[in-house]
Amino acid sequence: MLEHADIKRILPHRHPILQVDRVLELDPGNRIVATKAVTGAEPCYVGLPAEAPASAYAYPVSLLVESLGQAGGILWLHTAAQRAEPVTGTLIFGSARDLTLTGHAYPGDVLRHVVHLELVKGDNAFMRGETWVGDTRIATVGEILAVLRQDTTLVPA
Amino acid sequence: MTQAVTQREEHFEELREIAAEVLEIEPEEITDTSLFAEDHEADSLRAIEILARIEKKYKVDIPQSELPKMVNLTAVYEIVKQHANWQD
Repeated sequence: MLEHADIKRILPHRHPILQVDRVLELDPGNRIVATKAVTGAEPCYVGLPAEAPASAYAYPVSLLVESLGQAGGILWLHTAAQRAEPVTGTLIFGSARDLTLTGHAYPGDVLRHVVHLELVKGDNAFMRGETWVGDTRIATVGEILAVLRQDTTLVPA
Repeated sequence: MTQAVTQREEHFEELREIAAEVLEIEPEEITDTSLFAEDHEADSLRAIEILARIEKKYKVDIPQSELPKMVNLTAVYEIVKQHANWQD
């Protein structure tokens, strides 16, 4: 199990965009189970009026997928470190394909991501994953691509 | 001879299918020589996705160093043919 302090040594993300709280299981090179607690204090809920409907508190899909991707990032980077194959560069979310939403998360829910590492090709990692709240699967992503790129290759668009 | 031509065409169509899926365009839009980057707005991420799908489909390992050469369908075919040992 990895706690928040451990996660911050693996991922470059910081508050408020660090979207993984705890790692429950990690099978290097294969699979990770990680959680993120959604609370009403999330920055995404700032400014919602008191009369906002319940649906306005559904956790944004963009953040949910980011959270899933970060769990995958931990799996990839932790695996690389364990195998003494250190990686360098900035971790970037490449793409997500075949996203299926089957539910929502609300303040008080704990997202539980299960991510599988499918293929590592140089500085690129292909993964797939699911997000659960309790016994309900709320999202499936068929393919997530995460990449590492040297800062020198990153120029403003 | 006929068999060889058929095999080559089949591989071309499969690769065209893979590229079209990643680039999110119709297979017919990709000709044998149209350029992924210039003609179909592919970036380096799309390129690596195409490579990964080819590896998965044909269970072949293609070095990342081949990526810059994979500029169009014909180039992709030639590279995969070489690494997968196709006798087309």
